[in-house]
Amino acid sequence: MHANLQTAVRGRVWKFGDSIETDAINPYYRYPTMEELKLHTMEAYRPEFPKEVKPGDILVAGRNFGCGSSRPGLVLREVGIVAIIAESVARLFLRNSIARAIPIFMAPGITGIVEDGQLLEVDYPNRIVRSPASGASVELRAFPPLIEEIFAAGGLPEYAFQRYTREVRGS
Amino acid sequence: MPQTIAEKLFSRHNLAGTQVAAGDILEARIDGAMVHYHANEPMHDLALQAGFKDGLPRVWDRDRVFVLLDHHQPTLSQKQADENALVRREVDRLGIRCFHDSEPGIAHQMMADYGLMRPGELVVGNDSHTISYGAVNCGGIGITRADMLYVLLFGELWFQVPQSIKIVLNGRQPNYPIAKDIVLYLAGKYGDDFAGNMSIEYAGSLVPQLSVDSRMCLSAHGVEIGAKLAMFPFDETTERFIASRTQAPYEPVIADPGAVYEKEIALDVDQMPFVVAKPHQFGNVSPVAEVAGSPIQQAIIGSCANGRFEDIEIAARVLKGRKVARGVRFILSPASQQVYLQCVKAGLVESLLESGAQVVTPGCGVCQPKVGFLSDGESCITSTTRNFKGRKGSMKADIYLAGPLTVAAAALAGKIVDPREVFDAR
Ligand code: SF4
Repeated sequence: MHANLQTAVRGRVWKFGDSIETDAINPYYRYPTMEELKLHTMEAYRPEFPKEVKPGDILVAGRNFGCGSSRPGLVLREVGIVAIIAESVARLFLRNSIARAIPIFMAPGITGIVEDGQLLEVDYPNRIVRSPASGASVELRAFPPLIEEIFAAGGLPEYAFQRYTREVRGS
Repeated sequence: MPQTIAEKLFSRHNLAGTQVAAGDILEARIDGAMVHYHANEPMHDLALQAGFKDGLPRVWDRDRVFVLLDHHQPTLSQKQADENALVRREVDRLGIRCFHDSEPGIAHQMMADYGLMRPGELVVGNDSHTISYGAVNCGGIGITRADMLYVLLFGELWFQVPQSIKIVLNGRQPNYPIAKDIVLYLAGKYGDDFAGNMSIEYAGSLVPQLSVDSRMCLSAHGVEIGAKLAMFPFDETTERFIASRTQAPYEPVIADPGAVYEKEIALDVDQMPFVVAKPHQFGNVSPVAEVAGSPIQQAIIGSCANGRFEDIEIAARVLKGRKVARGVRFILSPASQQVYLQCVKAGLVESLLESGAQVVTPGCGVCQPKVGFLSDGESCITSTTRNFKGRKGSMKADIYLAGPLTVAAAALAGKIVDPREVFDAR
């Protein structure tokens, strides 16, 4: 499914701790194909995750989510995660997610408002994440216009294609 | 406004031509692009996905793109061989002039060996440890494969100017490398993301005493503490290093007096203990004394953090005239062919082999589950970069990270020990 910043989503939460690394998210050394990866993503922390995750689920994590290598977290989108919200995100993971148009947000306080398995509403257009159970919420910061454009294009490669096509046609 | 190194670097490369400060978003001009083994993705696979029917239509500058097959040389599988073949075809088609094809080694070390990154430049690479170029005052930044596609086409990329953190290292360099202990110690004390998203500037009385090898270890590990840049000041050591590799002109980047730092932390290295990171996170650090006695079955020296001459030299010194403990596999992998050659010429390889160590082909294999797998219940002590669960195969194996001296001492003892017990550190 194509991720879209401008639509609010509501889904069940998978909650993880601090410093979840790319080797756990994307253990491609052991599982080189996407089909295999889908069966093993995040199992280093929660063996049931790849078995039970459903399309529409939301991933919540603590500090430094996606630390480690420059590997992307595409597999999370492939298993159906529609948004990632963490206290903080490692910079390359953030870059990767933006470049591949995977909705990802740094929202300090997020781990305090929702428990594993509960529902969560992520509403970027209104800049808010809300827990329907408790009514608690945290704010989402707006992305700069350039990043929103990258999301709108469907990712940085697609954005590059549009720019290249425009420039070649224009010359 | 007085500027930090990061602010100056990005102002100098800002396409809009204006001065930028921490927090600003800009589009920057790129001086060099390091594309390593997954070069087929930005040049081909991702380009197809983006809509380019025949792959990437061009590279913005054929002399500023550096392709190295590093991780996949020599190949360890059919898949790697096929990917490499694709990369060769694409390099040829796009007319890229700098291509290290049949040379094994870690891309970052080869970039240093051949003088492909210079002080004051902004060089990106599709690998997180590109940050190591900060060792020679070069703005090395790891980017993603999708970012790389954009860079290859346009020679530009968006960035946010990071805030800066000054790490002041004071004290005396002993006659063995301590860079790994420094960064592990800091990660243990301040957390594995204390430099998160920031630009590190190293300073203090230790810095002029540090070799480029040690600086590259500290800069490389910038990423393990979350940083975007990990910059050393330009000095005579940098100048000598660069002069022996390239004659191309460059302009170092120097912070202004009065520049604003988000944080400043200081460490007196003379007071620092030998440390290890215990399984399975970089910041899970304790003094060696706390885990002393834990048996190990494998010891490794290698990687873009600690596979350099001084790392292998200290191992040879520790083992000189002695034998690796029975039941321990001690594997060393020089970071590049140039480093390997230097070790051979210095007689280190001969001496290590006599002691029962294995010296394997340069490259990333020892840092990944590719060379030297672990089985369930085994323990490994390694100078490589990461100790995540499964990084060396089994999910039920333990990986300890340590400096090369501590690793060599453990290889000799068959268990983790305070290096001073087996090595006269004076
Ligand atoms: S040595 Fe390890 S961390 Fe360094 S570039 Fe190679 S795989 Fe990455």
